[in-house]
Amino acid sequence: MITTKDLCMRFPDGSAIRYNDLCFENGQSYALLGASGCGKSTFLNLLAGVLTPDSGTVEIDGQNACTWSQRQKDDYRIRNIGYIFQDFKLLEDMTVADNINLLRLEGVDTSGIDGLLERLGILRLKKRRVRRLSGGEKQRVAIARALIKKPTLILADEPTGNLNYETGEAVVAQLIENAGSGTLIAVTHDDRLAPRFDHILDMNEIAHFEAGKEASERA
Amino acid sequence: MLKFALKHMATRRAKLIMTALSVVITASVALLAYNISTQVSEGIVNTAAKYDIIIGPSGSATQLAMNTMFFTDKPLGTIPYSLVEELQNSGLVNDAIPFSMGDSYNAAPIVGTDAKLLEGKALSSGEMFSEPLEAVVGYAVARQYGLKPGNEIVTSHGLNQGGAAHAEHPLTVKGILKRTDTAYDNAVFTPVSTIWVLHDHEDEHEEGDTHEHEEEEDHEEHVEHDHAHEGQICAVLVRSTGFNAYSQLMNIYSGKSEYLIINPNTVLREVLDNVDLSRKIVYLLCVVILVMNLFVVSVIALLSLYDARKEIALMRLIGISMGSINRLYLIQNTLTGLVAMVLSLSFSHLCLMLIRDFVASMGIVLNAAHIYPMEWAILLVVFLLSVLPTVIATQRMAGKDGMSQL
Repeated sequence: MITTKDLCMRFPDGSAIRYNDLCFENGQSYALLGASGCGKSTFLNLLAGVLTPDSGTVEIDGQNACTWSQRQKDDYRIRNIGYIFQDFKLLEDMTVADNINLLRLEGVDTSGIDGLLERLGILRLKKRRVRRLSGGEKQRVAIARALIKKPTLILADEPTGNLNYETGEAVVAQLIENAGSGTLIAVTHDDRLAPRFDHILDMNEIAHFEAGKEASERA
Repeated sequence: MLKFALKHMATRRAKLIMTALSVVITASVALLAYNISTQVSEGIVNTAAKYDIIIGPSGSATQLAMNTMFFTDKPLGTIPYSLVEELQNSGLVNDAIPFSMGDSYNAAPIVGTDAKLLEGKALSSGEMFSEPLEAVVGYAVARQYGLKPGNEIVTSHGLNQGGAAHAEHPLTVKGILKRTDTAYDNAVFTPVSTIWVLHDHEDEHEEGDTHEHEEEEDHEEHVEHDHAHEGQICAVLVRSTGFNAYSQLMNIYSGKSEYLIINPNTVLREVLDNVDLSRKIVYLLCVVILVMNLFVVSVIALLSLYDARKEIALMRLIGISMGSINRLYLIQNTLTGLVAMVLSLSFSHLCLMLIRDFVASMGIVLNAAHIYPMEWAILLVVFLLSVLPTVIATQRMAGKDGMSQL
């Protein structure tokens, strides 16, 4: 279970985003909807430990992850979190297989790579360099990399943004199936896919943007 | 990890090749400069150590030493052969070896002497000369011209190619010297009497022509081709019986104005001292090259790392630990450094082999296989330069989260 409390993230220009307290249960899937720039990606980064909040806490199974060292965060992320970034974050000069096998450096078992790529419809691209793939193909490679380690928490930032509706629907189904007893939290713009999730959260109501002056006064 | 590191290197091969090449070129120059200067100095000192005295006609001590030790430069002139007998009968010497030079075979000097000059030097085939017009050929000369025992060689007048050939008196090759990596590889040895035979014959030819030249011209010709005629030699190489004998000989012959008596070791060390400034300049150049190397390699490594920073940040984001990232880059840079080291060493010694024949023609034979401890030290510095910048830079990224590096 993941709970957030009084989360606040400040930016270099002085502005800040404050989030309502949230709780994400195991075995549930969550769709985060909201306008661009409302703080959805920042929220995922805070949950993943990629960003550290200026105040507030992210508790994972009762432990405050914000107090973890960078090494502890890295370790938790590689073992438990499958993060699908909006801009994929793939090594462009390496092949699809190498991008996924990179996780072996941390002892992740990637032996199921062929089956996973097959299910995502990109097995034929296994030895192709990422640079030569389309946006949709890259997105599915990013999904494969996130799912290969069978994570207990899947964070997906616009995982269907570059896919057509049919493929997107299949990918969401794949993510929900893989989440299993874990938690899936996905940011999406596609209202048609949102009903597939157990819960729909409107980030326009959860995230509160404060301009520079307002933020500094509150601080 | 290694497999992944190799794949990762393959994606950046252009940059890695450029890095390795810059290291190889600069390190090779440094290694080559150090190796050559050291081998030349050592070769000179080692060669001179065999004899404690050389007696020749009065003139330049350096010229006498270089001529008798390395068969370079022209002889100073001639002295009577009777001096050899006088020394042998003095009881002050273990050996008094006659030395004559003035002719050549394809620019390889013909050294008139006796078999004692070649003591300690093994023959790869054939036997030692014993009669006039017999010869033992140095390793490099035999290899270059494909000479074997039983072959005949026609020598020519003077030390350079193009002199009149002594076609009427070819020398018979009796033996081939084993490789010595000294000036002996580049010379042809024959009894001193051979030189007398060749030049008595030559004098018969010249007698008819001399009246056509003015006296001054004859004199210049004589100086230019200062051969040892019958009963004459160019110098005597001496091994004295001990320090007392050495002192006595020095006293006796330094008092005779027609002779020049030298200790070759002392003379050659003076020569080396004079060229010490050149050596210092070479070493300074080595240091400059190494500093340039340091700069070039560091800049390239840091630029590569700057490029790789995004990649490292990306790896961090997906949870790859800094330890793994460090190991990944360390393996890559170690491999690059090792390849650069091996290539530098190979390239510098390949260059040594290539210039070996050229330097050998000057009387100094380089051993291309010889590696000095200092060369390993240079290579170690090069290796550390290849690895350290990456280690330092990745360490500096260790405490930061991946997102802040993107």
